[in-house]
Amino acid sequence: MADISTVDLIQIIFWFLAGCISFYFSIGNARVWTSISMGFFLIFLSQLYVVEKALDAPWTAYTQLEAIHYIIGTISIMVMTHGFQEYYIFSRTLELGGSKQAVYLTILGLLAASAGFVFINPEPQYTMLRNIRMIENTTWVFLSLVNLDMVRKIYLQIRDSVIARGFIAFGVVFVAIFLWKGSELYLQVYNWDTDWKLIMLNLGATVPDQFMGRRDFSVLVHDVAGLLSGFSVGGTFIYLVRLLR
Amino acid sequence: MFLLPKGNPLYENIAATKVKLPELLDKLKGSSFTGYLKFTFPSALAVLFFEAGKLISAMLEQEGKKSSGFEAIAGLCNLIFGGGGSLSVYKLSKDLTMCLHAMIHGDVLYQGQELKLIDIKGLLERLKAQRLNGCLRIYTDDRAALIFYKEGAPLGFFHDGSTDIETSASESQKIAGLPGAKIDVLSTKSADELMHYDLLEMVNIGKLWESTAGRFATERDQIRREAEAVDRKQSDEQLKELEDDLKEVAVAYLGRMGASLVDKELGDRGGRAILRDASQVAEFLAGMERGSKMLTSISKTKEMLETMKNEIAERTKG
Repeated sequence: MADISTVDLIQIIFWFLAGCISFYFSIGNARVWTSISMGFFLIFLSQLYVVEKALDAPWTAYTQLEAIHYIIGTISIMVMTHGFQEYYIFSRTLELGGSKQAVYLTILGLLAASAGFVFINPEPQYTMLRNIRMIENTTWVFLSLVNLDMVRKIYLQIRDSVIARGFIAFGVVFVAIFLWKGSELYLQVYNWDTDWKLIMLNLGATVPDQFMGRRDFSVLVHDVAGLLSGFSVGGTFIYLVRLLR
Repeated sequence: MFLLPKGNPLYENIAATKVKLPELLDKLKGSSFTGYLKFTFPSALAVLFFEAGKLISAMLEQEGKKSSGFEAIAGLCNLIFGGGGSLSVYKLSKDLTMCLHAMIHGDVLYQGQELKLIDIKGLLERLKAQRLNGCLRIYTDDRAALIFYKEGAPLGFFHDGSTDIETSASESQKIAGLPGAKIDVLSTKSADELMHYDLLEMVNIGKLWESTAGRFATERDQIRREAEAVDRKQSDEQLKELEDDLKEVAVAYLGRMGASLVDKELGDRGGRAILRDASQVAEFLAGMERGSKMLTSISKTKEMLETMKNEIAERTKG
């Protein structure tokens, strides 16, 4: 059985709770919330791979599955961004459209298409997996900033309604996610991440121990922000459930 | 106003609005009716005299102003269409009709003469000698009596409180003996001469009636249109108030977006007028529910919708 760090374990527990709460929340609420809560639920699925690896699950030998998990992570932020966009449109025009079924089916379709894409292409090597993970992190960082701006605009529009404070909580969530994914992206961009170290080791090379202060600090930010992300997402949805029930 | 002997009442107190004047007059003409028609209105009285089916005179007294002939008939048509009056028809003898005609339309020989200052015996002899057709009106401030004459000979007596012609002169003598009693003497042409006049031949009553009917219909339409416009305005003002109240409720539960949501949901369905249509109201409330779920809790949404529903039902009933 592979090792799993305490931080990873706590993080996955938080994401599990956040995933359950957000999925439960999506069931009884308006269609717009379905996109947002399904997005957060997909983060849990994406993070689940950490546990699978820790438990040395047999399917983790297939690198395609690892690639799919990273792709799920990318889809998750795209889906929730779409949800926030819809909410923003509602706050400006009061128009509501679409159906929950369409959201579920579209997500399933995206997952199926992504899996198809991965399986019809050559088996991903570690460098490719790292590339996919970088794309995921880049998407997360960029869309976290976009969502922060959107959440701010939505808040200004609905600031005297009951739900308004929920959007402040989402703001905290996206700050945490930005730090979590941003710190990891920072390490990847400068080749200071663990994957790169392993790749170098496999190639018989080593990564020089330079800038250890900022590298360690980034890892610390990544771990703390990761915990805070899961915790804030879970907390936000519990708060929303209390507000909206 | 004056009292007239009732003779033989054919109809009494029929609602004047039910009367079609041209048809009634034609009927009376056809039956060679002799007597009079009395139309009583809250502020007017009209008397039409018939002799052997001929309309010999028409008199209208309205708010102290007297008119006769065409003017009286035209005024009568207006009053009938105006509503609120009654009609009585009394059959009388030819002679009495003539005397009543004298009383209303006759030439005044003496007016307001104090009885104690004139030689009443001499006067009566003069009337007899002149073969007077007409009437003597003897009155004080609060009592009156009539003595009808045909060719100088008394036909009968009529006074306040009686309904018909009497043969006894006692009441007339009593009034004549009262201090300050006065006398009017009115004369008219003989019944045969009066029959040379027929307003039915001179006035196109059918046309007059139709034109009055048309004018009143136009006026009624105009009044109805104005009333409808006022109703619409009032109704619109009520709906505007209701819309404002619904917005206040929405703002209380949803914040300022509540007012925008009410605007949008009403606007999508054609405006505040739909608040009078139960099915459209149900759709409006469903739309409000969808939007509200995005902004507040389910319990508060339900509470808000219940308040709105009651408000709409209360303000649009009836």
